[in-house]
Amino acid sequence: MLFAAVPLAAATARIYVTNRGGTTIDVIDPATNKVVEVIKGIESPEVVRFSPDASRLYIASRSVDVLDVVDRKSGKHIKKVPLSGWANDAAVTGDGKLILICIRNTGTEATDAGALDIIDAKSLEKVKSIPVKRGLHDVALTGDGKYAAAGSPGGQFITVFDLQSMEIAWEVQYDQGVLPLIIESNPDGSGHRIFAELNRTNGFSVVDFATHKEVDRIKFPDEPKGFGPGCEGISHGIGIAPDNKTLWANSRPANSVFVYSLPDLKLLGHVSLPETPVPGKAPRGGGPAWITFTPDSKTVYVSTCGTKSVSAIDVNTMKELTRIPVGEMPDRISTLVLP
Amino acid sequence: MISKVLPAIIFAAFVVAAAVVLCVYAPFATAQTSGSPDAPKTQLDYEFFKTRVEPIFLKKRSEDHARCYVCHQVSRHGGGPLSLELLSPGASFWTEEQSRHNFEVVSKLVVPGDPSLSLFLRMPLAPEAGGLADTHQGGRQFASEDDPDWKNMKAWVLGQKAESSSPQ
Repeated sequence: MLFAAVPLAAATARIYVTNRGGTTIDVIDPATNKVVEVIKGIESPEVVRFSPDASRLYIASRSVDVLDVVDRKSGKHIKKVPLSGWANDAAVTGDGKLILICIRNTGTEATDAGALDIIDAKSLEKVKSIPVKRGLHDVALTGDGKYAAAGSPGGQFITVFDLQSMEIAWEVQYDQGVLPLIIESNPDGSGHRIFAELNRTNGFSVVDFATHKEVDRIKFPDEPKGFGPGCEGISHGIGIAPDNKTLWANSRPANSVFVYSLPDLKLLGHVSLPETPVPGKAPRGGGPAWITFTPDSKTVYVSTCGTKSVSAIDVNTMKELTRIPVGEMPDRISTLVLP
Repeated sequence: MISKVLPAIIFAAFVVAAAVVLCVYAPFATAQTSGSPDAPKTQLDYEFFKTRVEPIFLKKRSEDHARCYVCHQVSRHGGGPLSLELLSPGASFWTEEQSRHNFEVVSKLVVPGDPSLSLFLRMPLAPEAGGLADTHQGGRQFASEDDPDWKNMKAWVLGQKAESSSPQ
């Protein structure tokens, strides 16, 4: 793994973008909205997460079934932790003690079998692998770190895991695949609602954490429209701003990110996202993928896989500030808070 | 500014493909023959596939792109249309039986004799060159039709035979 030379900017955060069609991870300085570092040599990276002290990167890729633990400053490998299979998303508990890895397929067959791998961040050993019926795609944590929710595209379910007992707590079964999801927490950090995108719904599902039931399915507005689904699912990418005031969710048919107020889920508007120019034809939708925010909730970043770019959007004005070129097929995107 | 045709077709195709979490494009319908009923049918050559096309799937063609096999091996592809056989542990290439199976799988994404309708060729090709790689999870694997590997793939679609192939 190579870390390209980087001038260190005086910012308090970095935005990491995994370029899944390629071999690189781009690092954006949100103070300048420029790529300030390129991590090379990771074939088809899926996700990067971080230790709370920002000293370590946890990197999973599609090419090898390991969690690569890397010293952030030096770029040196600390350990390759064997996983139960092909990893998708990952999350780190707020206290930094556990690293959770969604396993998309533990087997060798086309029909996936999933698991949630739990890694002890101190020993860097896998302490448990909780099997689920089908592969897991994305994972989110409650604010208190007691529960994690993960969605399955093939199994069409959300599984909620109790991280104290390290067992499955409850599940929600759907009629379609579950893609990115996020948990809204109560002020005490306990889970309030899960917002989950479904692969055939131009909108998102709302699950009540207390009753374990889907209580609403929010449909995005009918306009804009006409951009087709992109790949994988028609709604892809959802996030809650750190100040918990707004929910942002991508729509591929609209080629837009829609903005809702929290907790009332009132539509505030949308931001059109980059289109893919096609010579001699009308442009196609750019394929918005994932969402992250700066810690101050002022800027939201949306990766757009088809255009090889990340859009920086002002949260207050809902205007695109700039479009940042990145690598091949940018996908998961995450914010590192620097100490 | 919005294409009213392609997205609609894409959407229709997506509904079918969603269960396997992949993109399939209806305009590039798969077929084993092409042209009018009276026209000579293009035959896809297995030996050419095995010696000139299949190695591309395993090849690290540039520092900037993941290998095709990384995403298209059967256990990583969710039952998608271009699911390649899993290499045996320690193997650097497929067995004869596996290659025969890969040939069958990839042939279904080809309209023999017609590169423009062959999803196998259009999906990894950059949109700037007339392809659909902006919707391909592996991205723009081929920047243009001048790429030597893409040319090999096209030659196979056009029915080119390997020197070792028996006349048909």
